[in-house]
Amino acid sequence: MASAFLTHHQKVLRLYKKSLRHLESWSDNRHDYRFHACVLRGRFDDNIAEKDMVKATMLLKIGEEEFWTNQHPSPYIFPDSPGGTSYERYECYKVPEWVLEHWHPSEKAVYPDYFSKREQWKKLRLESWDKEITQLQLEAEAGGPKTEALPPARIDGDLPPLWWQIVTRPRAQGA
Amino acid sequence: MYFPASVLTSSLIIIFSLLALPVITSLISAPVKPNWATTHVKPAVKTAFFVSLLPLFLFLNQGMEEVISTWTLMVTMTFDVNISLKFDHYSLIFTPVALYVTWSILEFATWYMHDDPDMSRFFKYLLIFLIAMIVLVTANNLFQLFIGWEGVGIMSFLLIGWWSGRADANTAALQAVVYNRVGDIGLIFAMAWMATTCNSWDMEQIFITVEHFSVTPPALGLIIAAAGKSAQFGLHPWLPSAMEGPTPVSALLHSSTMVVAGIFLLIRMSPLLEKSPLALTLCLCLGALTAMFTACCALTHNDLKKVIAFSTSSQLGLMMVTIGLNQPQLAFLHICMHAFFKAMLFLCSGSIIHSLGGEQDIRKMGAIQRQTPWTSSCFTIGTLALTGMPFLAGFYSKDAIIEAMATSSLNTWALVLTLIATAFTAVYSTRLIYFVVMARPRGLAISPIDEVNPEVINPLKRLAWGSILAGLCITLNVTPLKTPVMSMPPLLKLTALAVTILGLLIALWIIAPPGAHTRTTLFPAPHRFTSMLGFYPTLVHRAAPKLSLLWGQTAADQTVDQNWLEEVGPKATATLNKPFITTTSNIQQGRMKTHLVLFLLSLALVCAMIIF
Repeated sequence: MASAFLTHHQKVLRLYKKSLRHLESWSDNRHDYRFHACVLRGRFDDNIAEKDMVKATMLLKIGEEEFWTNQHPSPYIFPDSPGGTSYERYECYKVPEWVLEHWHPSEKAVYPDYFSKREQWKKLRLESWDKEITQLQLEAEAGGPKTEALPPARIDGDLPPLWWQIVTRPRAQGA
Repeated sequence: MYFPASVLTSSLIIIFSLLALPVITSLISAPVKPNWATTHVKPAVKTAFFVSLLPLFLFLNQGMEEVISTWTLMVTMTFDVNISLKFDHYSLIFTPVALYVTWSILEFATWYMHDDPDMSRFFKYLLIFLIAMIVLVTANNLFQLFIGWEGVGIMSFLLIGWWSGRADANTAALQAVVYNRVGDIGLIFAMAWMATTCNSWDMEQIFITVEHFSVTPPALGLIIAAAGKSAQFGLHPWLPSAMEGPTPVSALLHSSTMVVAGIFLLIRMSPLLEKSPLALTLCLCLGALTAMFTACCALTHNDLKKVIAFSTSSQLGLMMVTIGLNQPQLAFLHICMHAFFKAMLFLCSGSIIHSLGGEQDIRKMGAIQRQTPWTSSCFTIGTLALTGMPFLAGFYSKDAIIEAMATSSLNTWALVLTLIATAFTAVYSTRLIYFVVMARPRGLAISPIDEVNPEVINPLKRLAWGSILAGLCITLNVTPLKTPVMSMPPLLKLTALAVTILGLLIALWIIAPPGAHTRTTLFPAPHRFTSMLGFYPTLVHRAAPKLSLLWGQTAADQTVDQNWLEEVGPKATATLNKPFITTTSNIQQGRMKTHLVLFLLSLALVCAMIIF
């Protein structure tokens, strides 16, 4: 169960992953990186069987200090990750679907098929709404949901809960 | 009207009309067609370029010096405001260069931005920017120049923040505006000085009138303006941040045209600057510092566009150095050469970034010469031109600048810094070629590489031809205004080449072959210093707002609360009346004797009033 505090295991894994990422940032080619990554893995594996938590915590502290000293000043960030060059680039094009309701009839007339189908989808949404909410209430955990994951439709012929939000979500890269 | 003069003026009006027509016609209510940019905008700029060649050839053929066309807007007792167009070799050479580069960039942008829903608006912004830029370069008075100056600044803001959903883009756009505004203070100060002292904003009148005055104050104002617009040290952080905008914006605005507006202003006002030795020395030292500092920053950065941005800033520093050497024509030559190869570098980077699925980090590039031969070749040509490879475009201007600097008897410190910057240019250029084009592939195994599209290749080819031939064409046809030093020791003559080769060797030594072990970096502290841009943005972007906040709080707290409310206002009334209240209360304590005394005193007063 997730909580506000990290376990020692999580802290070690996080240190290992960020060390690998910064090692990758320092390396000019994969050969160098692979060599240093194997050396780093060996250093972590040497202390993997440590049972004394005091000593383990001290090793973790030393590792974090070594990481802080040797970190890369501009580590590699994936383009679509937070801080990356393409992060949130297309957010300005992600218009919510309710804007379509405010189109002028002359604009809607340019896409008659889409809007006639949309009217059918809206009726379907009204019809399935109660069933979606009932399913969510029945399957809700005590204390509220832990993740944003939604359950699938359990009964044949039903639609999955909150299908409208998913089906009408904006495209990843805008229109 | 003299026939060539009328041709020059008419050509410029045709150019403005060609560029403004797509913008004006797009303002009608009917939506533009999806391929409006390809069918209307690109042909307009292409036609404008060919039209701009006519006045240039006429100018060169006739051996003209300068043509000025003036329309009077407003005449008062002491001041005239005119629309004044100046056709000298600066404006007549820069206009075709800018239009040629813009034509290539717009053709590239039809491919680069084809999946953007607002592509038409993007092209409209670029056209408005281009119109403002041409207004700036053809201006014969500071008022008109200021209109173009502000126009390019506003369009820069709108284009940097194009992807407005991204917080970093909005921050970068705001940064550009604020830094440019700091520079604008200098320009406005200079304009105010000229209006009050010279009674005119016309450049000819200013140059004649300032004979009798000390020109250092307006010269310093102009240098501050140029430092803001051309990203000199102190006002430089906005330029690498401006890479948040789309690559066509970086190629057009932040390498070829807008950033050189500051240097262009100093070139235009060079007759005024040369009367102030302090201003020239300041230009020399500021330019040298900028060139070296930004070249250092480019050594350790890994974002392809940011490295090219730093190289732009370094070259702008070199142009400022040339102004400091009192060689405005040489600075202008470097502006023209730089426009070609820097725009090509940015377009190559855009092609590479798009081909690698949006990857901008050179640590994830490599070995693309087989997959993108045209892009790799043009990238190599542009980088070599940047380093000053003999007989490419950059050589003609850069070599001449280094020679002029080496043979002048000016500041040795500035010369040393410039030479170091030249060496570092070779270092980061070699680093770029190695990590981007050569070496082993470090990116994704499958990339959407697409170089078959002529909209990608044709602009690169055009700019490559420009990077190879422009230097020769311009230097053969333009007579230098100042005689260059023709004889010098061989060591001085070969200085530029020597430092470039030195830089190349240093780069080859730094780029370790595979198998090198245990080295994060040879120099951790300098590496961190240059990676963080000398901690300049970190300090300034926090110190300035914090100071403003502190002053604001002090003003609100001390001035309003403490002063007005407590010392002067309501509380002061209470404080002033307290002694009287206390005295009166002490007096009236219910004693009969006190009452009798007061009664007798009042009686005496009344009697005295009656008697007298």
